Amino acid sequence: MWRLKAVRHRASRSAKDLEEFKHKRREHEKALRQARRDRQLISKRVLLNEDEEQEKDVMETDGAPVSPDQIREMIRSVQYGGEERDTHLAMLRKTLRDPQTHLIFTKVENSMYVLVGQLSGHNAQCQLQAAHCLQELSQSPHLGVGQACLAATPYLLTYLSSPSTKLTELCLYILGNLWPDGALVREKLLAQGIVTALANCIQNQRFNLAVVEAVGFTLSQLLQEKDVADKVIPLVMASGLVPHLISFLTPDPEFGLGPAIECAWCLHYLMSCDVDTSALLNHGVISHCSNLLITLGGATAKGSAEEGLELLIWPLLRCLGNLLATEVYEGAGCPVGVEDARLLVALCVFSQAYLSSHSALTRESLWVLNNLTADSPVFCSAMLFFNLVPHLLQLLPFSKGINSMVLRILGNIACKGAEYCVQLTYAGLLPALSATLRMADPDVVTLSLEVLHLLSTCSPQVAEEFGRLNIVPLLEAIKYYNEKEQCVRASYILDCYFHKHPMVDHQS
Amino acid sequence: MSDLIKLLDGGDEPRIGIYTIPVFKTSNEIKPHHLARGGDGIEENISPFTFTPQRIRLDKDDESFEDGDVHRHLYLQDLAATLAEDFQAPKVSEFKCHIAGCRQLFDTLEGYEHHYNSLHRHVCSSCKRSFPSNHLLDIHILEWHDALFQVMAEKQCMYQCLVEGCGLKFRTSKERKDHLIKTHSYPSDFRFDKSKNKRIKEKTPQQKDVCMVDPSSVLSGELENSNSMDISLPQMSENKELVLPKQQKPHYSYKVPSSVCFGQGSVRGFRGGRRKK
Repeated sequence: MWRLKAVRHRASRSAKDLEEFKHKRREHEKALRQARRDRQLISKRVLLNEDEEQEKDVMETDGAPVSPDQIREMIRSVQYGGEERDTHLAMLRKTLRDPQTHLIFTKVENSMYVLVGQLSGHNAQCQLQAAHCLQELSQSPHLGVGQACLAATPYLLTYLSSPSTKLTELCLYILGNLWPDGALVREKLLAQGIVTALANCIQNQRFNLAVVEAVGFTLSQLLQEKDVADKVIPLVMASGLVPHLISFLTPDPEFGLGPAIECAWCLHYLMSCDVDTSALLNHGVISHCSNLLITLGGATAKGSAEEGLELLIWPLLRCLGNLLATEVYEGAGCPVGVEDARLLVALCVFSQAYLSSHSALTRESLWVLNNLTADSPVFCSAMLFFNLVPHLLQLLPFSKGINSMVLRILGNIACKGAEYCVQLTYAGLLPALSATLRMADPDVVTLSLEVLHLLSTCSPQVAEEFGRLNIVPLLEAIKYYNEKEQCVRASYILDCYFHKHPMVDHQS
Repeated sequence: MSDLIKLLDGGDEPRIGIYTIPVFKTSNEIKPHHLARGGDGIEENISPFTFTPQRIRLDKDDESFEDGDVHRHLYLQDLAATLAEDFQAPKVSEFKCHIAGCRQLFDTLEGYEHHYNSLHRHVCSSCKRSFPSNHLLDIHILEWHDALFQVMAEKQCMYQCLVEGCGLKFRTSKERKDHLIKTHSYPSDFRFDKSKNKRIKEKTPQQKDVCMVDPSSVLSGELENSNSMDISLPQMSENKELVLPKQQKPHYSYKVPSSVCFGQGSVRGFRGGRRKK
């Protein structure tokens, strides 16, 4: 089941649950932001279980914490349980849902030995239950628990080639969750050949989208970790994983967005490292990303976008943005791979559609637009041809990087020459600039002056418009600013273009 | 967005090949060191403008990627939800009044324009006083700064009624004031009917913070004792008619030339700023 639907279902069970959910979410969000600032942003995948709902109620009635003796007893019953082993393992799994039990479990002698024994045994049910136990343990925030799980990793990696896709999927999530648990874990996993195992897995199981999603998640964990990037990335590039990642970018309508999301984030992490992108470009990433964004743009514009689509759009934008910045261009400023000009339209759609819900996505869409239009007469002409400038102007009231990026795009277009400036003026740029020149943010004012200068250089009619729109007194006022950047620019414009039209002292 | 939908959902020939778009002619690509088109005697300035089109590359850990990363990780932790509270709404740019000495901040362009229109539009370029209307400004200039006014007032009725459309004129300012009170029910302390001679006595020695004008008091028309309606900037020496009270000292580190008048014409701003919730 597409996970977002499941999450919402859980969250909407009761008002009290909803409040708790929201509260938990706020706390986690704060923690994540701080973690990112500390460059420690990691997450462990919590797997949804179909039977979780009934079991959760059972858990809630059991208030007392588990003692080491109880754990010892459970382990013994697993070890000697005979026919009943899988039942005992199920009990253990339920117990391990409580994160407080994890450390206790690892401290009990033989606990991991028994579990690994069941994992590597012949009983398929027991294997599965043991894997579930390990999956609970892998979600633990305590590094010690993760390291204790190292005993299981050779088996986990082996089972990535297992014909049992359910087992494979579990093993993948366990590995993905263990990866952040310290340098020792990562070293071991690399030595045990995790990258090759992932490549083989996605190759063999490419028709099973649940497994593909799990591979994507695990790989994204590998690629996010900065410390081992220099080891991991060459291995990934050599492993043949990339063409598979690209092929799963287009979401399957029945299965849901999961696999596409994971693969897209993997590509983003790859793209934004100092990796040689030419290998990636050969695989047609640019054309794939841009065509997909066009399709998603169409869905978004019509309002038929699936919930959670932004989780896919976000990494695609970043891939494309960074690829455009590193690519070598052909003449006329056209990157290889962007063949359908509707990409510009799709980017405008995203910037408007997500403005009120995820304004950072607006900013990133504009960033890609900047990278497309910079030094490109073709894309600048296309912006004008599709009449996209009024849509951009509507974004000028918004700060935090949005209006400054819009001004950069407008500057890119204006730089191309007189005909472009004329078109920009027809689209209503000057009244918009007269507002941005009044904004408090100094960068916005500076960029506005830059664009104004470009317009004035190209076209004498623009100077006449200035008078009509009362821009001259505004420029005069800017001359007396404290910030030098704006003063000198305003003075220059006034001197250059109004030297011939001396200011008449009106007393209106 | 309907025009955008049409473009993206093109029917038979949906794809719009990039090479089929007509390309405008590029011309004189602007170089950073564009030289000034100076006239006689003006040196060729080096342009201070630095903008060049740039493709920007962002590292994975760039802080502008924070929101997206956090959203992704909340999803991984099964906490992504489309509850209304979770939205990262955009922030609207503030506007700043750039008039020397004012520097007020506003949330909306309308708020800014209201402030500007109320306080900075009809400004006397000689004494920098601001008036709510053209009519009052004209009368002020005539009565305070016109050298001939006093001369002509001795012979004819020169003091115009302050009410627009009334048109009556009077011999003295007192007569006008009485007319205003009697016929137009004006208060006796109407702010814009101060005569020149009385001005010095009435000025309270509070010129310390002229820039701290509270727009709300202006808008509600409260008549306070302090001369908050008058934004007086330091008087330049050229105009001899005006007597500068001793306590009025320049408080600014720069001088605004008397030739600069900030109250010109209407401000056509851009009205496209839809306020998002």
